[in-house]
Amino acid sequence: MNPNNDTCVQRASFIFNYYEKNKWLPGEKPPLVDIIKVKDVKPEKIRYFAEFMHTRLNRIAEMMDILLTVHDDWVITGRRDHIMMETESFDFNDALKALAIQGYCDDEFVLKVEYKRKWGIL
Amino acid sequence: MGYVSKTKKSLTPSGSWSNLWKQEDYWATWLGITIVLLAILFWSIGNSFMNWTIIKIPIYSDYSTALSYIGSHKRTLLTLYLFFLILFSIAIKALSGEVKRFLMGFTFLFLLSVLVSVWGSWDVMKTYNVETPLLALVVGLIISNLLKIPYWLSTALQTQFYVKLGIVLMGASLPFTLIVQAGLTAFAQATIIAVATFLTIYWTGTRIFALDNRFAATLAAGGSICGVSASIAIGGAVKAEKQHVSIAISLVILWSIIMIFILPLAIRTLNIPPGPAGAWIGTSEFADAPGMAAAAAINEQAIKTFTLMKVVGRDMFIGIWCFIMAFTAVTRWDNRYAGTKPDALDVWVRFPKFVIGFFIASIIITFLAASPNVVTPKALNNNIINPIIELRNWAFIFTFLSIGLTSRLKELASVGWKPFAAFTAGVLVNIPLGYLLSVVIMGNYWITVK
Repeated sequence: MNPNNDTCVQRASFIFNYYEKNKWLPGEKPPLVDIIKVKDVKPEKIRYFAEFMHTRLNRIAEMMDILLTVHDDWVITGRRDHIMMETESFDFNDALKALAIQGYCDDEFVLKVEYKRKWGIL
Repeated sequence: MGYVSKTKKSLTPSGSWSNLWKQEDYWATWLGITIVLLAILFWSIGNSFMNWTIIKIPIYSDYSTALSYIGSHKRTLLTLYLFFLILFSIAIKALSGEVKRFLMGFTFLFLLSVLVSVWGSWDVMKTYNVETPLLALVVGLIISNLLKIPYWLSTALQTQFYVKLGIVLMGASLPFTLIVQAGLTAFAQATIIAVATFLTIYWTGTRIFALDNRFAATLAAGGSICGVSASIAIGGAVKAEKQHVSIAISLVILWSIIMIFILPLAIRTLNIPPGPAGAWIGTSEFADAPGMAAAAAINEQAIKTFTLMKVVGRDMFIGIWCFIMAFTAVTRWDNRYAGTKPDALDVWVRFPKFVIGFFIASIIITFLAASPNVVTPKALNNNIINPIIELRNWAFIFTFLSIGLTSRLKELASVGWKPFAAFTAGVLVNIPLGYLLSVVIMGNYWITVK
């Protein structure tokens, strides 16, 4: 199909959660599980949380850098528990490729894809 | 097809309150409810403005009759034009900000609508069953396929916005009790057909034509659930490729336009009464706007049963379909981009919000009708419902012209034969099954829905 005849617009949203990952690798565990609603929280759990957040936020920043390098038209929104990068002018496959080349797999982010009609389409 | 705005628009972050004024679904609701409330307000203060806006061009054999009618209603037409222009401009200002271009484009669209309405009342057209909706579509198709549509006109071709506004106004002419009762029947019937059609397209696409699962699901959704809306919703839910979603949309539009002509012709040939005819169109047409064009070519009862079947029986449940498909994609298909888990909140996110406007309009009028001390049924019909129906009919003519003016058949047809064949397999199941359920099995029920 001729790309000029595209009938839809794609919106790709990359969501980088601060405290969550999609998959926890061996040896990793959710950082807040030993803190929230836990009696007698141990100081080492807080240290683990700090260490996790340090690594996690750095990796999020690196992923943001990669996406900003391959494309410059993103809307970036900061929320209480996540950063969201959205675009309607860059295919999600290309963004995934760019992240994968740098070693970032889809367990580090949530990808949402939405389509909408191009103007005037039924 | 369509166009890309020349002004670079800032992308609004998802999930914000701005959806309330950045989405056409909401604007169709706001404007529809405003019109209903205005009709009630004018009537309650004894102002006959709404009745004054009614234009009923008489059937004529001599053009001078039509010209003299238009000549004597110039002020009414001008008022109608300004009424729509003001309301639509507010919405366009919020949606795209291109009000100046819209003003030019809408002026052309309105004049063309008047011309088509006059032409559609010619007795020759009536003799050959060329109803105004079909005429509007044909005129639009001829113009768009022979000439390049200028940018300023494109801004006024808001097919979805007009049809959604029309559907919200439609709610005012349907008692809420009828929507609930007929809606359940419509849902049961539409679901049987949707499941059968979905599975046919999906199976044909994946097993016979070896299409990708996600592509086949996007095609199947477009052919079975609710047309373009379903293709884009399922396409997003299963993370289909952009090109595949584009192809599915093109096929939905292509078959929808073909069906606008085939279904009314089949209905007349088979002598099907309007109630079941509308229900059949509701199960077998692929998109709201073309379905409304086909139903409007029959009569008012067909428009009602079509709306109940399509909007209440099919459109409303798109979110649930998406949830099921997203769940299937994550659990059954290859595990690519597994980052997103199906989220029950998406059922609401994908709910077509104009349906809420349709319900609200119906509830307002139903409550009013239930207050016999306030208004008699005759006064309600004459002063509120009939003027709203007339305004709705104008919204539909804008819709039908916009369908034609935005559909370049050559571009729609360039989709490749495999997806076309898979989609067509679904059409071959959808049409006879829709006939069987709407006309043969449930025909006696739909005849009574008026």
